[in-house]
Amino acid sequence: MKFAFLLAVLIAAGQQAAPPAPPPQGESPYRIAGRLPVRIMDLKVEPASIEPGQSVTLSWATENPTSVTIDPIGRVAPRGQEKLTPQVTTTYTLSVTGASNSSDKRSVTVVVKGTKPATSSADAASKVAKSVPRLSDGHPDFSGVYGYGAGGRGGPPPAPGSLPTTPVLKPGAEKFKIARAADDTGQYSTCMPPGIPQSFFVPYYIQVVQASKQIVIAHEYLNLHRIIPTDGRPHPPDPDPSWMGNAVGRWEGDTLVVDSIGYNDKTEINGYRHTESLHVVERISRPNFDTLQYEATIEDPNVFAGPWVIRRTFPLLPEYDSINEFVCENNRDYKPLFGK
Amino acid sequence: MKRYLFLAALVLLLATPLSAHHSTAMYEMANPTTISGTVKRFEWTNPHAFIYLDVKDDKGNSVEWEIELMSLNHLRSYGWVRTTVKPGDQITCTGGRAKSGAPSMISALLKLPDGRELKS
Repeated sequence: MKFAFLLAVLIAAGQQAAPPAPPPQGESPYRIAGRLPVRIMDLKVEPASIEPGQSVTLSWATENPTSVTIDPIGRVAPRGQEKLTPQVTTTYTLSVTGASNSSDKRSVTVVVKGTKPATSSADAASKVAKSVPRLSDGHPDFSGVYGYGAGGRGGPPPAPGSLPTTPVLKPGAEKFKIARAADDTGQYSTCMPPGIPQSFFVPYYIQVVQASKQIVIAHEYLNLHRIIPTDGRPHPPDPDPSWMGNAVGRWEGDTLVVDSIGYNDKTEINGYRHTESLHVVERISRPNFDTLQYEATIEDPNVFAGPWVIRRTFPLLPEYDSINEFVCENNRDYKPLFGK
Repeated sequence: MKRYLFLAALVLLLATPLSAHHSTAMYEMANPTTISGTVKRFEWTNPHAFIYLDVKDDKGNSVEWEIELMSLNHLRSYGWVRTTVKPGDQITCTGGRAKSGAPSMISALLKLPDGRELKS
């Protein structure tokens, strides 16, 4: 996949500056935007004074943040509101950080009549690492919303003896390597399903919902999803070729191993096409509370000389309850926008 | 320590916006364009949000510009909601305009009527 071409990487760095008009020529507008300072627009609690047992609504709004926390709640979305029932008089402190070392802080206090103020939990809370939750069956629980991954190119080096991270084409299979024209905006601009593992490599979130006998992996991108049985059943015989394949899961210790076949030949994997013989084995684990580790081993005897792997790390986003709706209702034909 | 390393990595990740699901090769990103106008319509949708902007050209004629923004997950992470931009708002967008010369651009930052600037 032409990652550099598909995804413009914009690094927020440099001194704080308001975007001038006209903008400086030769500098990406995303670099200019990347310097915008963070600010708190609003933080309020209603009502500000309650009797013990009553609830309050805390609401907040921030702009251009890179991180948003409320002590003593934890990480929160840039905007939101939460219903709270503090037992004692409590001060909520909203802290934001943004580009160019910008930061801001604001506090509100809820008075719970007849109680003494709580002591701050910030120091204690931040030093206690959360452990990986587990379901009653003992398996680690992967449920949660995760951000898009890191660890592709420039990721951790593979262990000695592990499978290659780039494919070697089988002799005669050169036609499976994709070459794109300059005005081809790539596989994602068609709004067709990217398949597996490519659905994990778009800049949209994923959500995992786990139960004891099945696990659902939902991708914000196109709202694609797989409901993967983990009850030990095999693949059905000769599954129909499909975009997202036929997947069955099993546990190897704390790692979920998802074996999938039954793909159509319409998707791409990192710049290569494949045939309906595609076989993908994904290994998914949660090495710590904040991280989902993902590894896909790819095989297609018609295309590749041997198996190869793609690895990614997805950060947990505890501030989000769910992925967004995604209907490709306003996708564009971008070809007319290229130079004449 | 591990947690701090993770948070540092996360900050880097969040500080490194990626364009959404397609290339920006059709837009002139190396030479940013800034345009101002009146919002006609705001589409708060995936895969991208769009603003339709009424822009006056040199002769005072109205030209409708199509302003492409990031996806909803990016916009929410910058603090946007669906009412951040409303029809009738006077706004200024900075981004890359279409190489073809069509009245179309992708906006990286936007100035709202009260002067607040937001990543877009």
